[in-house]
Amino acid sequence: MGYYIVKRVGQGIVTLWLVTLGVFALLRLTGDPLSFLLPPDATKEDREYMIAAYGLNKPLWQQYLVFNKNLMAGRFGESLRFNSRDALEVFLSRLPATLQLTCTAMVLSLVFGVVLGVLSAIHPDTLFDRVGKALAILGQSMPVFWVGILLILLFTVYLGWLPSAGGIERLGLKGLILPSVTLGWLFVAAHMRIVRSSMLDALDADYIKMVRAKGMPRRIVIWKHALKNAAIPIFTLFAVNFAQLISGAVVTETIFAWPGVGRLLVDSIFVRDYTVVQAVVFFSAAFIVVINIVVDVTYAWLDPRIRIAG
Amino acid sequence: MIRSGADSPTLVLQQSPRPGVMVVLWRVCSVLRGAPLFSLAFLTLAIGGAVLAPRVAPYDPIQNNPLATLSPPSWQYLMGTDHLGRDILSRVIYGARISLTVGFLAVFVSGVAGTVIAMVSGVVKGWVDTVLMRLTDAFLSLPYLMVAVTVVSLLGPSLVNVILVIGLLRWMTYARTIRGEVLRLTETDFVRLAHVAGTTRVGIIQRHILPNIVNTLLVLSTLDVASAVITEASLSFLGLGVPRPLPSWGTMLSESQTYVFTAWWMPVFPGVTITLLVMSINFTGDWLRDRLDPTRRQL
Repeated sequence: MGYYIVKRVGQGIVTLWLVTLGVFALLRLTGDPLSFLLPPDATKEDREYMIAAYGLNKPLWQQYLVFNKNLMAGRFGESLRFNSRDALEVFLSRLPATLQLTCTAMVLSLVFGVVLGVLSAIHPDTLFDRVGKALAILGQSMPVFWVGILLILLFTVYLGWLPSAGGIERLGLKGLILPSVTLGWLFVAAHMRIVRSSMLDALDADYIKMVRAKGMPRRIVIWKHALKNAAIPIFTLFAVNFAQLISGAVVTETIFAWPGVGRLLVDSIFVRDYTVVQAVVFFSAAFIVVINIVVDVTYAWLDPRIRIAG
Repeated sequence: MIRSGADSPTLVLQQSPRPGVMVVLWRVCSVLRGAPLFSLAFLTLAIGGAVLAPRVAPYDPIQNNPLATLSPPSWQYLMGTDHLGRDILSRVIYGARISLTVGFLAVFVSGVAGTVIAMVSGVVKGWVDTVLMRLTDAFLSLPYLMVAVTVVSLLGPSLVNVILVIGLLRWMTYARTIRGEVLRLTETDFVRLAHVAGTTRVGIIQRHILPNIVNTLLVLSTLDVASAVITEASLSFLGLGVPRPLPSWGTMLSESQTYVFTAWWMPVFPGVTITLLVMSINFTGDWLRDRLDPTRRQL
């Protein structure tokens, strides 16, 4: 187990190193990095300060060392847009809003996905199952941003029930509903399909027949014994879904003017605030890597076959 | 037709190798058995519209018309017009061009990249395999839309850059799946025999492995066109995809946000089109998988 954890953490570090290498290469190879890191009206002193700070007059490999040194110290540089606040600080100030959104979306999609998946597995080939399947297909085919616009069209424009833009500070929990449904919708479909198929397998297994033969009530057999085993594939997919969740958050935050990390990234790109862009990409990647490691290690702990296969 | 009775023996002899109309029809029908006909029809419509856009689109997709801004759907403008008076139907038709071009070419890029990596990985094995698979894992855990918007913004938004970025960020599925197939194939008797007979690695790949992974590749890439189309639309929606005034569906949806309170037709029609296209591609991909996978095939 210890070896497995060390190995996974090692892989995570390699991933992050590749990300930094990518960021470094892109900023250097696509032209003058100063044009990305400085505002257009920068003075000569600004330029000289920047050249010194990043070692831009040195050879490329030395620049790379300086870049890594700054990275280790968590110094991404100052944001141009936010009164020279540190890029890391800007990122962290936007993180809670994104976490609120993504966590709510994930919980929503788990609850709905599991309940609907189980229900369609215990009533296979009924009308309910077919409607569920149709919804799942729709969910996987509708782009996140279109779902968002449709929800705004329905609940804000026609019904006038829910606000369409803002953040939780301004609107309270009411403002969280539309964005999290938009983001969670995609995963309801995914979770539902997985739970349905693995639930069908589980219900067919011998241990379930055994429990039923013992006279356990159907309700407990389904929701306790079968579901426990059917839920495992959700965790396997969690890591993949998480990267998708972050991508979805970028789009969702843009639609609903949600003050999170995704919108910070898009806004920063448009004002060419590349120090913040670097920080957002790097920390989001780091976040995904850490979540992946945690999921994998938990999974290996639950299922000994994985540790051995490595 | 009446006179044909006289020289019918020679006619029959000449025609016998060619199947009759009914036989051809029967064959087409049996190929299409269980096919998602609606999806195939919609795909044909979309591809046809994309190819023939200048002929079938009723208006110029980028021509502003200040006299007809935000007019609701009517016989003159079937899907209404947008805030600049451009015909939405024409923009949707031209949008199919962009979506499908990006979809197919990006999938081509990622398919080729993924297959090459999988081949090298599965045939050479050893540390090369380990390095390439770690690289695949690393790419899989990237926040990939974030990376895509950043890279597109650094390189500058253009059709070619969008294709390259989407293609080069999505090869991992191919690398993973096809490497598995290659590993399985290299253990088979016919590949081992070819090896013993002195066939080079390149020869084995060309003659024995590639033909056997074509089906997998076809299914994977069909399904992947759908996600490439969605990614292109997402990038354009964020304003970092295909540059304006080119009518990308993502751009159209992005512009519709401002007018969502007054012009429902602006978001609805491009959105319906993209959903139908993605759904059709997915159904077609599922059908292809069932047809081409020998274990699932029931003819």
